[in-house]
Amino acid sequence: MTKLSSKKDNPKVILELRDVVKTYTTGNTSFNALNKVNLSINQGEFVSITGPSGSGKSTLMHIVGLLDIPTSGEVLLNNLDIAHFDEKKLAQIRNVTLGFVFQQFNLLPKTSALENVMLPLLYSDVPQHLRRDLGVEMLTKVGLADKLVNTPSQLSGGQQQRVAIARALINNPKIILADEPTGNLDSKSGSDIMAFFHQLNQKEGRTIVFVTHDRDLANEADRIIIIKDGQIQIEQHPRHVET
Amino acid sequence: MVKYKLNNTPAMLKPSLGELVRSSFHSIFKNKSRTFLTSLGIIIGVTSVILLTSIGNGLQKYVNDQFDSLGSNTVFIVPGQIFNDKGGFNNSSQNRLVTTRFSLNDVATLRKGLRRSQILPLSQAVVDVKSGPILKKAKSLVGVTSDYGAANNALPSSGNGRWFTKDEEDKKSNVVVLGYQIALDLFPTTSPLNKKIVIKGKNLKVIGILDKKGSTFGGPSLDDFIYTPIGLVFDINGNQDIQSMYVKAPNKDLVPTTKDEISKLLLKKYDKDAFSVFDSSQLLSSINAIIGTLTIALSGIAAISLVVGGIGIMNIMLVTVTERTREIGLRKAIGAYPNAILLQFLFEAIFLSCFGGLIGIMLGSLGAFAINKVFPAIVTPGSVLLAFGVSSAVGIIFGVAPARKASQLSPIEALRYE
Ligand SMILES: Nc1ncnc2c1ncn2[C@@H]1O[C@H](COP(=O)(O)OP(=O)(O)OP(=O)(O)O)[C@@H](O)[C@H]1O
Ligand SMILES: [Mg+2]
Repeated sequence: MTKLSSKKDNPKVILELRDVVKTYTTGNTSFNALNKVNLSINQGEFVSITGPSGSGKSTLMHIVGLLDIPTSGEVLLNNLDIAHFDEKKLAQIRNVTLGFVFQQFNLLPKTSALENVMLPLLYSDVPQHLRRDLGVEMLTKVGLADKLVNTPSQLSGGQQQRVAIARALINNPKIILADEPTGNLDSKSGSDIMAFFHQLNQKEGRTIVFVTHDRDLANEADRIIIIKDGQIQIEQHPRHVET
Repeated sequence: MVKYKLNNTPAMLKPSLGELVRSSFHSIFKNKSRTFLTSLGIIIGVTSVILLTSIGNGLQKYVNDQFDSLGSNTVFIVPGQIFNDKGGFNNSSQNRLVTTRFSLNDVATLRKGLRRSQILPLSQAVVDVKSGPILKKAKSLVGVTSDYGAANNALPSSGNGRWFTKDEEDKKSNVVVLGYQIALDLFPTTSPLNKKIVIKGKNLKVIGILDKKGSTFGGPSLDDFIYTPIGLVFDINGNQDIQSMYVKAPNKDLVPTTKDEISKLLLKKYDKDAFSVFDSSQLLSSINAIIGTLTIALSGIAAISLVVGGIGIMNIMLVTVTERTREIGLRKAIGAYPNAILLQFLFEAIFLSCFGGLIGIMLGSLGAFAINKVFPAIVTPGSVLLAFGVSSAVGIIFGVAPARKASQLSPIEALRYE
C-alpha cells in the first residue's frame, strides 16, 4: 500500500498501528472485529474513517484512543509502544494528549453540562481557580453558553454531543478522536461541527481523526480510510478522487 | 480565552483531597434515594445493636450494684433448696412447697455458735399502706433488728432521719423506715419525716427515708420496702416465724467457714433440703450465668439486625454498580488513574457509613435513654464501636469492592458494562 503524502512536507508520525487484531469472544465463538490493521497518522493530519455499520470503526477508534487494548499487534504513540506504559501513564495520556468524543456521548447523568465538561480537569494539573472559566469557555466555543447548568437529560442529542466535544477539548489535546460526532445532528449543526473541527485542525494544528457515515463529510478530510470487515480497504486522498 | 501555564511540579494527588471530599458529597447528594436507602441499612444496624447491647450491659450493672450494696461478707439463709447441682437456680416445682420457717430459737442458736458474726433475722408481711388519702396495696413490710441498717449500708443519709434504736426494737415502738420509692409514693409533695402512715390499723411514725438503691426493673425493689422493728411484724403476722436470715461474717475470707458452721448448727434441727445457706458471690455467679445467656441471645438478635442492615447496604450497592461501573469507565477514559477512582469511592463509602452510623448512634442512645426509664440500659463505647465498625466495614467493602473491580477493567469494558 502506498503512503499518501500529507500536506506537510516532512510529516511526523504521531500514531501508528501495526498488525492490530481485536478478537471478541462471546460464548465459544470468536470474532475478529479488527483483522491485522496497519495505520499511521501524521501530526496535524485531518483523517476521516468510514465504512459500513459493524465494520469495526468504533473498535479501531477505541484502540487508537488507548481505551481498549488490542488482542495482538502494536500501538505506537510518538514512536513509543504503549505496551510499555503503566495504567497511570496511559491515564495521563488519555487526559492530556487525547480528546475522545464517544458515539454514545457518555456524559455523567444528573450532572450539569459545565461539571461534565470540567470532569477531565479533576485529573489534570490545571490550576483550580482557572477550571470554571475554562469550562465556560469550552461550552461557549461549542455554542452552549446558555446551557451551563442543564443536566444531560435536559439537553437535546445534538447539544449533548457538543457538551461531549467541549469535554474532549478542555485539556487542550494534541489529538482529537471523534466517533460519529455528527451522527445525531441535522446537516446544519453537522456542518457547524465540521467547520469547528477544520478550525481546530488548521488554526490550532490539532490532529483530528473522525468516524462518519456521511460520504460528503468524509470527503472534507485530508485522507479517507475505508474499513470493511475489520480490515482497511482503501486509503485515499479525497482531492485525488474528486479531480 | 483562558491562558495558563502548567506547574513544573505537578500535584502528587490528583484529584486533591479537597476535591475528593467535594466530589464525594456531590455524588452523595446527587443520588438522594440511594444515599437514604444505604444509610437506612446502617442506621438500622447501628441503632439495634446499641439498643440491644445496652440492655444486656444495664442488666449486668444493675445486678452487680445490688449485690455490692449488700456487701461481700454476707451469708444468706433461706428456706428450701434454691440452687440445683449445676450451680444454677433450682427450678423444680416441689421446692415451692417447702414451708420451713426459722424461729427465734434458731437465731439464738446461731448467735451462740457464731459469736464473731452478726445475725440479722428478717420477718416479712405483705400489707396495704395508707398515708392520708393515698393507699398503696401489697407492699413489703420487713421486720428487722436495730443493727440491720448499719450492717447493710442502709442507714438514712443525713437530713433523712435515722434507723430505729435497740430500745425501740425491744419496745416494738410504732416506727418505720421507708425505702426511697415507697416514700415518694406515699408522700409525693411533702417530706415524710415524722408523718404517720397506717398499716393494719396501726399508726406508724416515719423516722427515716433510705437512699435510692438502684434503678428499678419489674418485680419488688429494695426501694419499695418498709422497715420496722421485727416484733411489730410478729404481731401483725400473729406468729414469730422468721423467713430468712442474713449473717455478716467478720470478713470476706471467713465466709466459707461461717457457711459451714451455720449448716452444721441448722442440720441438728432441719433436714438438709429444708434450707439453703449461700453467699452473694454464689448468687451473683448464678445470676451472671443467666444474664450471660441473655446477653448472648441479645447479641444474636443484634447480629441479625447487623446482617439485615448489611444486606440492605449490599443491595443498594449492587443495584448502583451498573451506573457506577459506567461512571468509572468514563472517568478512566478521560484520564482518571485507578487509585483516583478507588479513593473517590472509598471516600463516598466512608461518608455514607459515617452519616448512617452517627444517626444510628444518636437513635440508639436516645432509645437506650428512654428504655432506661423502665429497665436498666447502658450504652457502652464498646457497643458503639462494634456497631459502627461492622456497619462501616459492610458499607466500605460493598461500596469499594465493585469499584475496585471496575477500576481494573479497560475503560471501554467498564463503559459497556450492563
Ligand atoms: N464487546 C463486544 N463483544 C462482542 N462483539 C463486539 C463487541 N463490540 C463490538 N463487537 C462486534 O465488533 C464488530 C465491530 O463493532 P464496532 O462497534 O467497531 O462497529 P462500527 O463500525 O463502529 O459500527 P457502527 O457504524 O454501527 O457504529 C461488530 O460486528 C460488533 O458486533
Ligand atoms: Mg461505531
